[in-house]
Amino acid sequence: MMNIFKSLTAVSLVLALSSCSSDDDTAAPLEELESETVTNLYAPEIGGRVEPSSGDFTKFDFETGSETTSETDWDVAFRSTTILVNGGSKTGITDEPERTADAAVYIASGTLASITEVDTSLFAQDTTEGPAIAIGSGNGWYNYTGEPYHLIKPIPGTILVFRTSEGKYAKVEILSYYENAPEEPDGLSDATPYYTFDYVYQPNEGITTF
Amino acid sequence: MILNKYFLSVFFTACFTLNSFTQENKALVEPDSSEVLNEVLITATRTKRQLSALPLPAQIINKETIQQSGAMRLGDILAEQTGLITVPDFGGGEGIQMQGLDSQYILILVDGVPLVGRSAGTLDLNRISVGNIQQIEIVKGASSSLYGSDALGGVVNIITETPKKDWHGTLNYRTGTLNTHDLSLNTTYRNDKLKLSLFGNRYSSSGYDLTPQNALQTVEPFSNYTAQVKLAYSFSTATTASLSTRYYSQNQDYKASESLQGESNIEEWNAHFKLNHQFNSAWSSSLELYATQYQTDEYLNDIADAALTSNGFYDQRLLRPELRVRYQPNTQEAFIAGTGYNHETLSRTDFSESPTFNSAYVYLQYDATYFEKLNVIAGGRLDTHNVYATQFSPKVALRYPISNSIAIKTSVGRGFKAPAFRQLYFDFTNATVGYTVLGYQAVPTALAAMQERGEIANILIPVSSFDDELKPESSINLNLGVDYSFSKRLTFSLNVFRNSLTNLIDTRIIATKTNGQSVFSYTNINESYTQGLEFNFTANAIKNLNISGGYQLLYAKDKQAEAAFEAGQIYARSAANSPAFALQKSDYFGLYNRSRHSANLKLFYNIPQYRMNANLRATYRSKYGLSDTNGNGYLDRYDRFVSGYGILDFALTKNLGKHLQVGVGVDNLLDFTDAQNITNVPGRLLFGKLNYQF
Repeated sequence: MMNIFKSLTAVSLVLALSSCSSDDDTAAPLEELESETVTNLYAPEIGGRVEPSSGDFTKFDFETGSETTSETDWDVAFRSTTILVNGGSKTGITDEPERTADAAVYIASGTLASITEVDTSLFAQDTTEGPAIAIGSGNGWYNYTGEPYHLIKPIPGTILVFRTSEGKYAKVEILSYYENAPEEPDGLSDATPYYTFDYVYQPNEGITTF
Repeated sequence: MILNKYFLSVFFTACFTLNSFTQENKALVEPDSSEVLNEVLITATRTKRQLSALPLPAQIINKETIQQSGAMRLGDILAEQTGLITVPDFGGGEGIQMQGLDSQYILILVDGVPLVGRSAGTLDLNRISVGNIQQIEIVKGASSSLYGSDALGGVVNIITETPKKDWHGTLNYRTGTLNTHDLSLNTTYRNDKLKLSLFGNRYSSSGYDLTPQNALQTVEPFSNYTAQVKLAYSFSTATTASLSTRYYSQNQDYKASESLQGESNIEEWNAHFKLNHQFNSAWSSSLELYATQYQTDEYLNDIADAALTSNGFYDQRLLRPELRVRYQPNTQEAFIAGTGYNHETLSRTDFSESPTFNSAYVYLQYDATYFEKLNVIAGGRLDTHNVYATQFSPKVALRYPISNSIAIKTSVGRGFKAPAFRQLYFDFTNATVGYTVLGYQAVPTALAAMQERGEIANILIPVSSFDDELKPESSINLNLGVDYSFSKRLTFSLNVFRNSLTNLIDTRIIATKTNGQSVFSYTNINESYTQGLEFNFTANAIKNLNISGGYQLLYAKDKQAEAAFEAGQIYARSAANSPAFALQKSDYFGLYNRSRHSANLKLFYNIPQYRMNANLRATYRSKYGLSDTNGNGYLDRYDRFVSGYGILDFALTKNLGKHLQVGVGVDNLLDFTDAQNITNVPGRLLFGKLNYQF
């Protein structure tokens, strides 16, 4: 099952900003950035390989920081190595959820710490051409190493920046595709697809920095 | 095309300039008293040239060395040469890497004509027995100016024995660890008119298993046969005709799992007819007709239900007529011109069609000596083709002896490699994983068919982009070398090289499938380079002891990768599950399977009073990476590397009586193995051998 560790709570703009704007007493205090680690988010598919893949996507909501079965209140959905966003249109693959919101995503190059600003011009949504996070090895978030290790490796330096269904922002670094995120996964024996990722969620409306 | 025009003009300017100061008299082959320096090779210029006076980086491995080393297959002996690395292929095959370029860019010839039949570009060196080899000639650097496609990185030419007067024969037998038996019989006859060679070889082994925990052996048991017949007849002193034919057949167990078992068979033959005529002292010609066929056949049966589960075949044929004319107006100048036609077909499983390649070609080479000393070779070759654009491959080489002991040499040339059949016509879907690979030409039809079957989710690269043809891969090769002989007993050579490659063909994803997998096809994308230096020495300082050795420094890098590292766009993790950090340019290691350092040292010791020869040969290659293991798509210092390793071989031979030589030896004395990464090193091998001459 999925575990959510409410681990680190980030340093925040809150203190800094509130101290700067102390003379403006009417402004609501900003909420703190939420830095979380999600482990073992299980996102299996039915079929795959030579068969067409099918099966429900595992949906995730940044606001609650947890997996959800809601048809509408979700931001990102996973199935095997495919990642969808709750915005745009259906891509045409089997059993994909309806897009009910205006969520979007782009891939930034950097570390989770180095991506401090959202570039709203880069956001893309799923289309009939395919998901905004392109599928396939080397195109989106992972590389498949092939012979002899057969590993799915999240591409280092790939940060997924999201606009959520509620119009807020989050940045995600996927760390592992294997159960319990082993330090040295074995492509042939370790279980997949179990997503482990770090994310930072900006809970404040309209703020595009992390 | 821009490149070609540029080179055309440079080439012709060079020819013209050099032509304008032609004088002096000097033999093309400098006479020399030293034995070693008298070695002659034919591969570099298609005419006999003294190795020591050649302006190109080249090397000869003679019969004596092969015999004393106890080598059985071509790969055994090539692996011991400076700058040559043998790289394992699936199922026990071995390819050659030269100046950092892999097997697909190296042309392998037997008596001047090419072997065909490559598995994913690799020509298996174990197909060639060394039992009847007179010498192996190696020319490094682009040689497309004479040999066309595939000679982008260099040429290895196996010269088989020429008969001596009357009947002679040699029986060779080696047996040892892994139940290996290698038996050769070579008989030759010669009189004034006739030359005849008959050669037969049987080679078998139980194979070996570096990973006993699984059901498959690393190399499954096999046996193979080689037969070669050469017949030459002199009609007069001016006219000779020769016919040579070679046959090779191998049978090997083929296993995919405990229950899936079968056989894999290779059959190969070639026939080479040649008519030589000397018209007068200046003009001579050779007319050749060469035909070869390489076919494999493999099947797997499911033992449980005795059903045939897979069946694969491969059948490649080449037919080549060629006419060569040599014109030597005086002792200081020689022209070689040739023209020919390649007709090549391939029929195999997983192909969209049975394609044919037709290619006509013409080449010209000018070889001259100026100012008594400066040797100039300038040449070029034009290859037309029915599938890709006409290729022009020029080359210029110079050698100048500064003094009796020092000579400098340099060469610049263009090399190319035509797209392989598989890169154009492959239509393959992996049965277990589900991805598809399509050849460039196969894309429009195959993709449409897949779409009709509802297998395609999205097309990422528009099909119309496959209207342009796939371009051949090409390179500009540069060599700059110095030969230094301190004395007859001590010589050094140093060569600095660079190969700049463009239009390298690689796979990319062109569409995604409904099963979540991808459709791959080929495209020209990458630019890369290999550069480095090679150093060789031979020393006969102590009586009866011959020491030789060499070292290669190699940098082989992809240019785009280098740029990406420099721009700070590449990241890595220290552990698979930890956050990423940015890498520097210096963290980029380079291309896969390239060792920065490789070296060898050989000691051959003669003990005349016991009529014995003992030799100890060491080879070393430093660490290298086989794949990206940390997911950023590049080989960087945080990836998992194959550790550097050394192989030590020992052999001892003793002559008994007039005709018999016996020997013992140990290959891989230190019993080095790396089961996961190095499948072509089986561990320590003990052997005994005998050689009987009659």
